[in-house]
Amino acid sequence: MNNRVQRLSLNQRIQHIVLLTSMIILLLTGLVLKFHNNVFSIWLIKREGGVWVRGLIHRTFAIVLILLAVYHIVWVTFTDEGHRELMAITPGRRDFSDFFQKLAYNLGLSDNLPRFEKYDYLQKFQYWGVVAGTIVMILTGLILWFVNQSMAVLPKWIIDLTLIIHGWDGVLIFIVLFLFHMYNVHLNPEVFPMSKTWLDGKISIERLKQDHLLEYERLISEKKDGKN
Amino acid sequence: MEKINFILFIAAVLLVPVSASSQPPLYQKCLLCHGRPGFKKMMPGGKVLELFVNKTELEHSIHSKLHCTDCHADVMEIPHSKTPGKVNCFRCHYKDNPNNAKPANEFFHSIHGRLLEKGDPKAPGCQDCHGGHNVQKVDSPLSTVNHQNVAFTCGKCHKQQYDNYIESIHGTALLDRHIQSAPTCTTCHGKHLILKPDNPEASIYPLNVLNVCSKCHENKELIKKYNIPGGRISTYRESFHGIADEFGSVRAANCASCHRAHFILPQSDPRSSINPKNLAKTCGKCHPNANVNFTKGKIHVNYKSKSTGILYYIGMFFEILTLSTLTLLFIHILLDLFRRYKAGELSKNHRHGE
Repeated sequence: MNNRVQRLSLNQRIQHIVLLTSMIILLLTGLVLKFHNNVFSIWLIKREGGVWVRGLIHRTFAIVLILLAVYHIVWVTFTDEGHRELMAITPGRRDFSDFFQKLAYNLGLSDNLPRFEKYDYLQKFQYWGVVAGTIVMILTGLILWFVNQSMAVLPKWIIDLTLIIHGWDGVLIFIVLFLFHMYNVHLNPEVFPMSKTWLDGKISIERLKQDHLLEYERLISEKKDGKN
Repeated sequence: MEKINFILFIAAVLLVPVSASSQPPLYQKCLLCHGRPGFKKMMPGGKVLELFVNKTELEHSIHSKLHCTDCHADVMEIPHSKTPGKVNCFRCHYKDNPNNAKPANEFFHSIHGRLLEKGDPKAPGCQDCHGGHNVQKVDSPLSTVNHQNVAFTCGKCHKQQYDNYIESIHGTALLDRHIQSAPTCTTCHGKHLILKPDNPEASIYPLNVLNVCSKCHENKELIKKYNIPGGRISTYRESFHGIADEFGSVRAANCASCHRAHFILPQSDPRSSINPKNLAKTCGKCHPNANVNFTKGKIHVNYKSKSTGILYYIGMFFEILTLSTLTLLFIHILLDLFRRYKAGELSKNHRHGE
């Protein structure tokens, strides 16, 4: 019996894999530079082939990330699927009330769980967090990459500021992705050790019902309409 | 003749306890000729060789208790018939000497020693720095290698470096203001173990320069006493240059790349390589087309210090943002886990109730 329904298309899954690969490598090669004064970073930088090769790897995967970002923008703007997904993940007023509802539920003030569409407020927060973070990283990263060219027009203190932002933004992305995302799709008792959605693109009907009830109901009615 | 020598030897042995402290007898015998001012010899080619030995100088040198022939060991008879060769200090100060092996061992490893062994006529031997008859202990103000005097001694060969050094902040501090903590040549280059800057063992090899400078510029006492700008080393270590240097890049700028090696001057001096007027040129050595933008902002930046203004506040903002994001995410996860646990308990109870 097929109890798993399609959630992510192949296109989306490939985008996700490219994103996670470049992010992990960028963070591994980037954060060791920000926090270079510890045994782990020293060990890792040496494994990465020294500080120069580290930079080369960092910039190579920066290009991968930039290409992905460009592709993603084209995809959400010009394809039906992309546009539909963009609309689905765009936050609305409802997400704020969902958040408070979930908070009240978690605190034991209410017994009603909020009902979610395809993307709940947390998934939206993560998506837009990564989008904003990536834009900042690409812009500041380019300034630092082409430091001789950027210093032709920018004063030294802006470069210093760029460096601070680039470093801290990396830390923030790390926290959001690796702590929050880890919990939601890996360590969460319901999906432990890992949600398989990112591989086969499917979600079980039970989880769909539980976590995305509105989407479930919509899918059911669409199916009925299709049959009629 | 042999008999006379024997008598002289006996006399010398008998006389030693009485006169050794002031002057050995052989000493006097040599000074019969060499003690005469103006004693010299015309060499083939017209060069005049000064052969006068200043007795007072000898008496005050650290070797005052030695006989002339202890050093001029090739003099077998007095008066000597042959021109004696150059004195070889390594007869006593030899390699692996159990009393003090360091100077000779280090010297033979150094660039001076290696060139000397190769037979380079310009390479200095011991006497070129320490002097001959006037050799003194290093802490004597008369010593040619005393902290105060050694720059002049090195400058006899390294003229350009000497000229730059005496104009520099280090040179003026030591030579004009007599601040003994100020560095001289040997402070950075070492004494006997002087190596070329491209030798990774050299104290002034690009990757080792930071260690040399930090001996004083990270010394809190010196920084306070002489009002030296602090935080130079720590800010460098946090910079791109510093991190690259830490991980072994010789291309990255070290202290001397910007501040120069010998002609180090305070920023306020218009001749200084780090004077705002010259900064574009200094940075331009590595950063093509460097312009006035390099002067807009600090080079040694510590954004954890309030003096950096906007950098401090933005840095602070990010620290707070990061910490609060972390805290909120943890609270969110904990609340979620807690509620799931509770819900699990409830459903269990339900089942029991049924």
